[in-house]
Amino acid sequence: MKYLVVDDSKLARLGLIKSLKTHLPDVEVYQATNGEEAVELNKTHKPTIAFLDLTMPVMDGYEALPMMIWDNPDLKVIVVSADIQEQAKAKVIDLGAKLHIQKPINPNKMKDILETLECKI
Amino acid sequence: MQDITLTEDEKDVLQELMNVAYGNATAVVAEMLDAFATLSIPKIKVLKTQELIKEFHSLEGKSFFFSTQAFVGDFSGESAFFIDEASAKNLSSHLELESEEDLDDAILELTNVLTSTLTTRLAQEMNTEVRFALPSISKLPLNEIENSQTFQNYSQVIVIDTQLNFEHQKINGEIFILTKDGSIEWLKNRLNTILEALM
Repeated sequence: MKYLVVDDSKLARLGLIKSLKTHLPDVEVYQATNGEEAVELNKTHKPTIAFLDLTMPVMDGYEALPMMIWDNPDLKVIVVSADIQEQAKAKVIDLGAKLHIQKPINPNKMKDILETLECKI
Repeated sequence: MQDITLTEDEKDVLQELMNVAYGNATAVVAEMLDAFATLSIPKIKVLKTQELIKEFHSLEGKSFFFSTQAFVGDFSGESAFFIDEASAKNLSSHLELESEEDLDDAILELTNVLTSTLTTRLAQEMNTEVRFALPSISKLPLNEIENSQTFQNYSQVIVIDTQLNFEHQKINGEIFILTKDGSIEWLKNRLNTILEALM
């Protein structure tokens, strides 16, 4: 299974990947630093699951999300954001995200996410 | 005094911690105002106070409500919230306030909720605690800002600059977190500890 981690912060990407690899040490992970890179990597590698930040330079998560699902309809997008306003959550679910999770991600939160998505841990 | 700089990695860690803290604070204020805000990417800079004042001069608008709240602990400093007159009027109209006194009170409460939530969450992310002073407010023409007592307390500051934008209500504000000189080294060490734990 391939994973895509999209965040402009290196800290956020490292933290998320570390949490992911706690449960799934051998998975293939691609990294993007903004929405535009995410759209390209998604087209090329067709990941199964993408973790997507919202507030990013160049192209934000709101813009990238529908494009990524259009290009790769089987993609499951988990929005990982500091923006925890109810309207932000409703908007990303409306755009096709499976879940909206508050930053930062830790191994416990990741376990819950993977179980919700029925990934084999 | 020796100039202190932040490396790209240190800036990245601080920016991400600030992003998390700011998301929490914005959600609290959005609920308080019953409105939806957009988040900006926090900008991190280390500046001499005079350079910071020059930055203020580049802000649009002629006069601002300027409120500040000091915090103390391992991480000490002051948060400053700027809201221009037009936004303040829109805030007043959105909350159906009747007097200037009510508006001052609303801005103080907004500052209190915004900056204390923001700073508390930032401190939590850095595994420390801070205590707060009461916020204070003044209405300043931009060309008088350098006379504010707040800026006499610092020689070099880490400035974390983010914008609060309630698009539908046309309310824009700008938040600065200013850290005292002695806290900058503490902050650098803590940022590196956080980063090393992930390597």
